[in-house]
Amino acid sequence: MILANGMIYDSGEQNRILSTLEHRINETILHQPLSTETVIAAFDELSSRLKRGDFYQITQKIQLENMEHSLQTAVRMLRRSSMEYKVKAELGQRFFEPKLTGPPLGFERIEVCPRPLGTLLHIAAGNMDILPAYSVAEGLLAGNINILKLPSADQGLTLEIFSHLIDIEPKLRDYIYIFDTPSSDIEALRKMAEVSDGIAVWGGDEAVTAVRRLAPAGCRIIEWGHKLGFAYISGYEHKEAELAALAEHIMITKQLLCSSVQVIYLDTPHMDDLNDFAKTFLPYLEQAAVLHPVQDMGAIAEMTLRRYSDMLECTLLPPDRSGGKVYQGKQCSLTIAADNSLELSYMYGNCIIKRLPEREMMTHLRKAKGCLQTAGLICAPSRRARLTELLIRCGVNRVMRAGNMSDSFLGEAHDGQYALRQYTRIVNVAL
Amino acid sequence: MNERKQLFRTEDPFDTQSTNDQFLAAVRENCAYQYANCKQYRTMLEKLQFTPEMLVRYADLKKLPFLPTVLFKKHRMYSCPEWKMPIKATSSGTKGKYSRIGMDTGSLLCGLRMVLKIAKWRGLLSFRPVHYIILGYKPHRGNDMAVTKTAFGSTFFAPALSRTYALHYENGEYKPDLEGIIEAVQKYSESTAPVRFMGFPSYTYFLLRRMDERGIHVTLPEQSKIMLGGGWKQFYTEKVDKKTLYALVKKVLGVAEENIVEFFGAAEHPILYCDCPEHHFHVPAYSRVIIRNVHTLEPVPNGTVGLVNLITPMVSATPILSVMTDDLGVLHDGEKCKCGIQSPYLEIIGRVGLRDIRTCAAGAAELLQQTEGVL
Repeated sequence: MILANGMIYDSGEQNRILSTLEHRINETILHQPLSTETVIAAFDELSSRLKRGDFYQITQKIQLENMEHSLQTAVRMLRRSSMEYKVKAELGQRFFEPKLTGPPLGFERIEVCPRPLGTLLHIAAGNMDILPAYSVAEGLLAGNINILKLPSADQGLTLEIFSHLIDIEPKLRDYIYIFDTPSSDIEALRKMAEVSDGIAVWGGDEAVTAVRRLAPAGCRIIEWGHKLGFAYISGYEHKEAELAALAEHIMITKQLLCSSVQVIYLDTPHMDDLNDFAKTFLPYLEQAAVLHPVQDMGAIAEMTLRRYSDMLECTLLPPDRSGGKVYQGKQCSLTIAADNSLELSYMYGNCIIKRLPEREMMTHLRKAKGCLQTAGLICAPSRRARLTELLIRCGVNRVMRAGNMSDSFLGEAHDGQYALRQYTRIVNVAL
Repeated sequence: MNERKQLFRTEDPFDTQSTNDQFLAAVRENCAYQYANCKQYRTMLEKLQFTPEMLVRYADLKKLPFLPTVLFKKHRMYSCPEWKMPIKATSSGTKGKYSRIGMDTGSLLCGLRMVLKIAKWRGLLSFRPVHYIILGYKPHRGNDMAVTKTAFGSTFFAPALSRTYALHYENGEYKPDLEGIIEAVQKYSESTAPVRFMGFPSYTYFLLRRMDERGIHVTLPEQSKIMLGGGWKQFYTEKVDKKTLYALVKKVLGVAEENIVEFFGAAEHPILYCDCPEHHFHVPAYSRVIIRNVHTLEPVPNGTVGLVNLITPMVSATPILSVMTDDLGVLHDGEKCKCGIQSPYLEIIGRVGLRDIRTCAAGAAELLQQTEGVL
């Protein structure tokens, strides 16, 4: 299904719609600028409708863990007060109002007028149903026309949301285009890229590389790439509570998010400390696994298969390469590794424990600089400021407590950037 | 490998009842051979405290250790010198990793016998020359993929007047030539000789949709057949609903459902799984399937979803007699199918891991791997 100018079309109409897309967009930009206020008002009404249960039918059809929780979050996030806060936090007060400046050396009077970037193409990943809609919402807030290529796993929620939104505010009709084009239809994607001023791509290396190939020169590429999260432990404030929170976080997120824990680093040079920690921490993890079990059969099968393969494979490898000691718990495990690199764990409650003495932090974390995002820091209060600064210098963009590593809040930066800023341009006019 | 030869001489290709003893004997023979000739296989069996002599009764089959297919992607395991293998087939690997499976002459002969028997049962063998349209790779020296070999092999069921390929090898890569295919379809629809399509269901669907959009509808000559096939993955990655595809075949090519045949095979389990007229994949006499519990890896009763363990004594050059795929599947009782075949049929439900979801953390690991080579 395709959504264009407020109408729903069959996927077969794609090429016909694409052939006139440039003209439609040009007309919109020329004749109907979009104000942030219009968008905020529409979202506020959408929030009320969500709360009222207007989306009940579609949300019942969709398979999504924590659906109720996601819905409540959406209701809160889309409210007027929240949206206004987000815009203010990311863009500051009255961002789009022209400001007169008198720079030294040369021009006496220059007007600075920030504007929307223009047309944004969103290419969203499939790992969160709400993400494509969220990405387009950000584009709208900054006043842009948005073209969205749906992920193949989309279950229809996105189209539903925006049909409702257009119903609430018909002015948004010409600002939202949604296509269910498969990633293999390069020709169509290229056409979408050609009419865009910027491309927001959510996804892995493959997706980003593919987007770079099809983007015309001069098109701004805004990458929201894949990241690896980790926990860093150097002493405790409240040991039991902190370990319990860390375990909960691991099992609730199933280690699937960019901000989830893959590796738990201990501030120590000694392997023995890793073993001691694993013995202490495993019961916490087991308890969390009982409360938040992995329910997806495919995920369980994957873990079982991996364990079995590892067991067989270690007979084929020389002893020094056969991997570290595994502490197997019920529905979870902890693996001790001798190296220091940040890497992906088996996920679903299977963490890796490594050493990372404070003085070696820079050397090893810098090797993963492209993948750094969130660190969950557990340490004595007296060491928090110092370790936080060190993590930031290594390239970490979010330093959180171990239990709230994946929590989001309004006005938060994403991968070190404010999205709304990325979706705008600054215009200078000589007066 | 006398027991194997006996098994592949079975009259009825779907007799999984009276062949049990012969099947076990062939597996025991194969297991003993691998145990004696493949050091890695022996090491793993020793670790699992299993010896070939432990296969005494048919029920012992479930105790036979199974090797995950991922092991064949990481380790080359052969049980005879490489010069003795006329063919090495590779799986169409994802992320640059693929299995390399050696095939000995004996297993190729068994394979040929199997293919002919099944093709005959499905009415694919004919002396009447046909035009082949292959929606797949044109073979060349550098392409060892099992799907390429299967596609090429299937063009011998009936004498070929011509072979037109959708993917051509040019300057080091494969390029699709849809226009050429559409032209060929139009041309051969006028001919008196039947046309046979061979390709992945997804490609076929894509091509037919293109033709439909352009209003190109033909009626292929009588006895034309549409053969759909590929690796195991094709079972479920195709979002194409079968009924939709069949309807499209009828509309665009004028070929009725009974002339649509699907088959599947995999490098790690090179047994031809061909659908029955009800489009179910019954287990052939040369293969056994054990569905295993996702927690415990113990066998589960028919009708229950689990990991798919495939067993065949066909190949001696590589220890693939019992492999565990990364698929989730169900085995259904044969009686549930109206076609009359008693052998149970396999349905692949999906793949291990969260369905359809590539997590962001997993993507980041790939990125790290490329830039740093740390994993």
